[in-house]
Amino acid sequence: MARTAITGTASFLGGRLLRRLVSERGADAVLAVDITPPPTTLSGVRHRMVDLTLPGADRRLVEVFREEEVDTVVHAAFFTTPRRDSAYAHELESIGTLHLAAGAAAAGVRHLLLRSFTAVYGARGQNPSFLTEERKPDADSRLAWVRDKVEAEAHAFSFSRRYPGLGVTVLRFATLVGAGVHTFYTRLLSKRVVPVPLGYDPLVQMLHPDDALEATVLALETGPCGVVNVVPRATITLLTALHLSDKLIVPVPHPAAYPLAELWWASGVGEAPGGFIDYARFPCVADGEKARLELGFVARHSSREALESYLAYRFPEAA
Amino acid sequence: MSAQAKVVPIAGRRRRSKRRAEPAGDTALRRRVGELEDELSELRGSKPAESPLVALARALSSGAGGLTWASLARLQRAFYFAWHSEQTDDFGADARFAETLEPFFEFLYAVWWRVEATGTEHLPASGPGLVVGNHSGVLPYDGLMLQLAIRHEHPARRLCRMLALDMFALLPVLAPMLSKSGSVRANPENAERLLRQGELLGVFPEGVKGVGKLFRERYKLARFGRGGFVRVALRTGTPIIPCAIVGAEEIHPVIAKADWVGRPFGLPYFPLTPTFPWLGPLGVVPLPTKWSIDFGEPVDLSGYGPEGAEDPILVNRISESVRETLQRMVDGRLARRRSVWFG
Repeated sequence: MARTAITGTASFLGGRLLRRLVSERGADAVLAVDITPPPTTLSGVRHRMVDLTLPGADRRLVEVFREEEVDTVVHAAFFTTPRRDSAYAHELESIGTLHLAAGAAAAGVRHLLLRSFTAVYGARGQNPSFLTEERKPDADSRLAWVRDKVEAEAHAFSFSRRYPGLGVTVLRFATLVGAGVHTFYTRLLSKRVVPVPLGYDPLVQMLHPDDALEATVLALETGPCGVVNVVPRATITLLTALHLSDKLIVPVPHPAAYPLAELWWASGVGEAPGGFIDYARFPCVADGEKARLELGFVARHSSREALESYLAYRFPEAA
Repeated sequence: MSAQAKVVPIAGRRRRSKRRAEPAGDTALRRRVGELEDELSELRGSKPAESPLVALARALSSGAGGLTWASLARLQRAFYFAWHSEQTDDFGADARFAETLEPFFEFLYAVWWRVEATGTEHLPASGPGLVVGNHSGVLPYDGLMLQLAIRHEHPARRLCRMLALDMFALLPVLAPMLSKSGSVRANPENAERLLRQGELLGVFPEGVKGVGKLFRERYKLARFGRGGFVRVALRTGTPIIPCAIVGAEEIHPVIAKADWVGRPFGLPYFPLTPTFPWLGPLGVVPLPTKWSIDFGEPVDLSGYGPEGAEDPILVNRISESVRETLQRMVDGRLARRRSVWFG
């Protein structure tokens, strides 16, 4: 039988997808590939321990995929939150995807689905109001967090070109915000005081996790279809979002904000490196037309509903 | 408001009967009012949309003890939503924000510059149109006035979205202000998307060379970019409406430029005018010249078809002819103008 393997099942999205597929197709149709086993509540789920960062992981993956008769791989082992240990992040995301794509190609896997981020387009003043999939991702980003994702996508596509049997889908999700999500982004939303660059108010997209999951399931049914943006129904401006969640906003002139944030990050206090300030100054809004046409996916939640779902989860006493 | 006025005394009476023993000091009374208002907002099921002055008065009246993170955040929120609506459109235009700034721009339009708009009958009543104007004036006032002219003088009262230069989209304060008043960044993707949606679009193909031009170069149209606006118009079959703006080029007479001053701040140019920067904040007050905005005959490009956009020679020719038309319109208006201040 043809199984679907999921990597990064310990991550939020990977874990949610594992549960969803187990309930839809039964425990035997799914394989968890991760260094941590799936929760015991999911009894009967097959689990193989593979460390994607180790040399030779691709050979081990070929064995695993052959033995378990895997025909579809969902690669969800990515960090949504930037890590100070950027060397490990690079090993897991860029090199790990290289190993995974090599293993999948050699084992005759049909469909490799990669979880990615709309943030790979980069936030720039020159961006069009809607970034389509044709837009090149920002490979020269000053953020290692972005560069690793761009490299991972490139590795997957280069294997798919050389081994035409392997089809690739890259789902670029907008920032996940909603009940149960814990990222640096939602941690900023749960503070009382939030510094923002002075004089900017870009549009942002916040994707509800239910919509992200729905799009993934639709993409698995559709089969390989290249890069697809997965975005919420409507955008929201950054300051509207912060004011709706009753934050005290401290505007910082942006020439000072970058070094301060960098210092804050380097001293182990900040949530993210200074490069992320770009996303609070300039828009990085993706277009969801391709997802509608090719996957038949239309988000049910707007950015504001995603935000409200998170706030109700994080501050139940205020709701 | 009337519903609120009815509810307050009832909620108040219920609580007061319970706590009659409390001394009726000023502070205690204020605290009670605060509690009751919170209770009221809970009953209404949503957070109150306070007017900023009410929020400010409340914050001041509660004294130093009432100054908490939460109360400051509420104050900020009241101020923000007094200016902005909670939902913008897809391109970031905010109707409430435009309303807030309108009195100021109306004043500039009707009193300060006494704008006279002619030829609005050349604008399409519905469907796409690309308004091409001459850019000047250091700050993008001409775009805002063009928008207002179409709002006021055209029977369909259409919103003309302006394509803003990248440099304005990078500057703090100005960038969100422009995008909330309906401007979008000038790039072919945005222009094509908006024209396909049937919107009216305004563009200044001279770009930064136009807006920052020196006083002695006034009313001499600079080079028209690389014809990007023509390509978009050809691809979408949109008519081009030339629009000559006279009066804007004298509002900030740029005598010289000291671009090195602005470079560390990301400014593309740093103008020196008779008043700026010598008079400090007074230097940014534009001169009250008399403006005229003339819309010309539309140029219909539908005959060339979308494949015309791939022909650089054709694109150049159309771009040049639009530039010449515009220069002729500007020169014609200048010849008829007797005074910079009175038209």
